[in-house]
Amino acid sequence: MLFAAERRGAGRGDVILAACVALLLFLLFRSGFFTATAWDDFGRRFYQNFVKDRRYMMLVDGLKATLFMTAGATLIGLAVGLILSVIRVAYKGGVPIRLLNAFAECYITVLRGTPAMVQLLIWNFTIFASARDLNTLYIAVLAFGLNSGAYVAEIFRGGIESIDSGQMEAGRSLGLSYGTSMRYIVLPQALRNVVPMLFNEFIALLKETSVAGYIGIDDLTRAGQNIQALTLEHSQPLVMVALIYLVIVLFLTGLVRRLEQWLSRGRRG
Amino acid sequence: MSTMQDSSAPMIEVRDLRKVFGELTVLNGIDTGIHRGEKVAVIGPSGSGKSTFLRCLNRMEEPTSGVIRFKGEDITAPGCDIDRVRRHVGMVFQHFNLFPHLTVRRNITLAPTQLKIMAQVDADQRAEELLARVGLADKVDEWPERLSGGQKQRVAIARALAMDPDVLLFDEPTSALDPEMIGEVLEVMKELADDGMTMYLVTHEMGFAREVADRVLFMDGGRITEEGTPEEVFDHPREPRTVEFLSKVLRR
Repeated sequence: MLFAAERRGAGRGDVILAACVALLLFLLFRSGFFTATAWDDFGRRFYQNFVKDRRYMMLVDGLKATLFMTAGATLIGLAVGLILSVIRVAYKGGVPIRLLNAFAECYITVLRGTPAMVQLLIWNFTIFASARDLNTLYIAVLAFGLNSGAYVAEIFRGGIESIDSGQMEAGRSLGLSYGTSMRYIVLPQALRNVVPMLFNEFIALLKETSVAGYIGIDDLTRAGQNIQALTLEHSQPLVMVALIYLVIVLFLTGLVRRLEQWLSRGRRG
Repeated sequence: MSTMQDSSAPMIEVRDLRKVFGELTVLNGIDTGIHRGEKVAVIGPSGSGKSTFLRCLNRMEEPTSGVIRFKGEDITAPGCDIDRVRRHVGMVFQHFNLFPHLTVRRNITLAPTQLKIMAQVDADQRAEELLARVGLADKVDEWPERLSGGQKQRVAIARALAMDPDVLLFDEPTSALDPEMIGEVLEVMKELADDGMTMYLVTHEMGFAREVADRVLFMDGGRITEEGTPEEVFDHPREPRTVEFLSKVLRR
């Protein structure tokens, strides 16, 4: 419904966008951005920051690290989240796995209850402290993936619990086991319901990886800081980094909307 | 060799069945049974425990105590493989519970193929036969949400039949239907009954119960308070509670 309104033209999104552009123009105007010397200066600094010595490659490599961490953590998060949620739902449904359930609850509580950055630091400086040969990039993938798994578990659990209990009953009444009913009847419906929420989780994950620099990974954010250190330039590199994040997030958000529309259309026939 | 024995012993036998939800006693000692080919209607006011009784028969609800025997086997025993028993005890639900993400065909073939009772081709053919039997031959590749309530329930019956069950449990199969769709579902059930299917039927359709049932159980307060042929229960009820109930539902 929301998207339909936007397609019609003067939706709420357009108003917000226009306000943002106006604000940006105003700020640029106030900072003397629209004077000839400023533009001259801007171009010179832009060259220093991004072109000279192929410094743009620092951003490209940083972006690669960021996307690698996001993709890897997404996969781990999906797997861990699926397993944890099924454990919790199955225990509630009478499957005798008290210990597994206790572990899952503990896992979700601790990993959701502490900052991802602190977890990243603990993984790097405590758990893998002696494994100095290990690429820190893999440690980050693991840390972000396990962290994301706790959130994904709650998303999946909500999705599974939103499926009418009659679905499981119908499967069981035909002689299918709990596991088979879960896999072929409940989970496919639950997954379909949570796809948009999962995507939002991974968009959040993309932004969350920006703290990877704390364990020495040259991700996109750190690349911006590295350029800062070389050129002693305080704003351009970070604004550029922010723009890159924004473009990716907007692209992914657009993808989610498409997906939501496609899913709701599929549901009707 | 045991056909003689099978025909004389009940297919399902229930002894002192009790079900307690917290403080609430829903089933307070049920003793009954059903023979092969028999049709038993269960009637009674809401909250009398009739649905719970039915759902205990395939252990959709876990009985608190008592014994349920299916073809001689105690299905409440700890070692009982309930999934195997359920293959032979079909259930039809008030709200159909079709699988909305699967086509009508897959709704019917999912269990037989997953349980390796049939190959997909054979199951597909059987699904088409069953759909023809419930009058929906043209809906085989349709999605459940595009069916009317009556059509959904007929597909649900076909789905239960695909397992070739010994007995079918109907849990208020027409209660969620618009009035104009009740007839088509009852018609299918009537044909099943005429074909000799063993049926337990929890229902508010007194006319249908009278027409189809061999025996009627009247439940009240978690017990079977009156039992007999439709003529006995509907025309000459003995218990005041039955009289009161029937006067309320038949007045309409």
